[in-house]
Amino acid sequence: MSSDERTGLYVESTIIMTTVRVVSPFVLTFALFVMFHGANSPGGGFQGGVIAGSVVMMLAFAYGIDAARDWLDVRVVAALASGGVLTFAAIGLGTMLLGGNFLEYHLYEQFISHVVAYAIELVELAIGGIVASVAIGLFFLLAAGFGHAVDSPEDES
Amino acid sequence: MTLSLIEGVLLVFVLCCAIGAAVLRDVLASLMAFAAYSLGISIIWVMLEAPDVGLTEAAVGAGIMTILFILALANTVRPQENGLFESISVPTVVLVGAFVVVMIATVPSLPAVGADGAANPVVSGEVTQYYIDNAYADTEVKNGVTAVLAAYRGFDTLGEAVVVFSAGVAALTVLRQEVFA
Repeated sequence: MSSDERTGLYVESTIIMTTVRVVSPFVLTFALFVMFHGANSPGGGFQGGVIAGSVVMMLAFAYGIDAARDWLDVRVVAALASGGVLTFAAIGLGTMLLGGNFLEYHLYEQFISHVVAYAIELVELAIGGIVASVAIGLFFLLAAGFGHAVDSPEDES
Repeated sequence: MTLSLIEGVLLVFVLCCAIGAAVLRDVLASLMAFAAYSLGISIIWVMLEAPDVGLTEAAVGAGIMTILFILALANTVRPQENGLFESISVPTVVLVGAFVVVMIATVPSLPAVGADGAANPVVSGEVTQYYIDNAYADTEVKNGVTAVLAAYRGFDTLGEAVVVFSAGVAALTVLRQEVFA
């Protein structure tokens, strides 16, 4: 689908492009800070994931949704979403394999010291991956709209 | 309970935005009022010393929700409206008013903001005290919210994460797409 079919949705603006180019690295850094530092300050996977997702949305607003869609690797988005759920579940179920309860982090202590903090960090990152990829996915899916799939099913397959 | 000036201004601002979101006729204007409402609420969360909730409200409520709503609007036909406000039907006002009265009736039974000890069952509760006393020793995490979220209530959080994941899958299914883009 070409971009001129969605007139009005994208306006090429030097101001917006320059601003996004300057701001987006900082926003992504802030997202990672919120995710990694969620253990010691406000924040965590949910909030950081949303902020990370908003970086892609900012890029899409500045450079056009179709350009952002071409630039984005859909495999990365899918891998973040499903990998996040699998990582979280694996950490939880791993303790059950070791004979404990679900998410009883202390049982990993025999392999790595201070593992509880690391495991919680990993869980936060997994949540962040899920939230970021689903936010990005919902954004592109909504932008494409329903007609996109129904009108041209052959193009998509 | 006394309000500081900034709290009072914020509450009035949030209330005006909420009413604006409900009664403005133009959908985009209503959406902007809703985003401003979310931003105001997020600042109120921070003032109530719930920065985690405030951060979520600002990122999700004011950020992502607004973007998704704007996209939905861009993909639909926006009818030419005449008149600034939606016509207000009396039964709706009565119904909403009754609901608001019921909600306000519960407010006096809440503990005062920042109250300590027995006056505040949230603070003096056994579960809260357990978290405050043991969270760092149990989880080596300084943010009590994260300790509860990722450790004590980890199973709930896994459920939440799966709900987010399912939302993405549901959107894919409804829009008959195979990839997230």
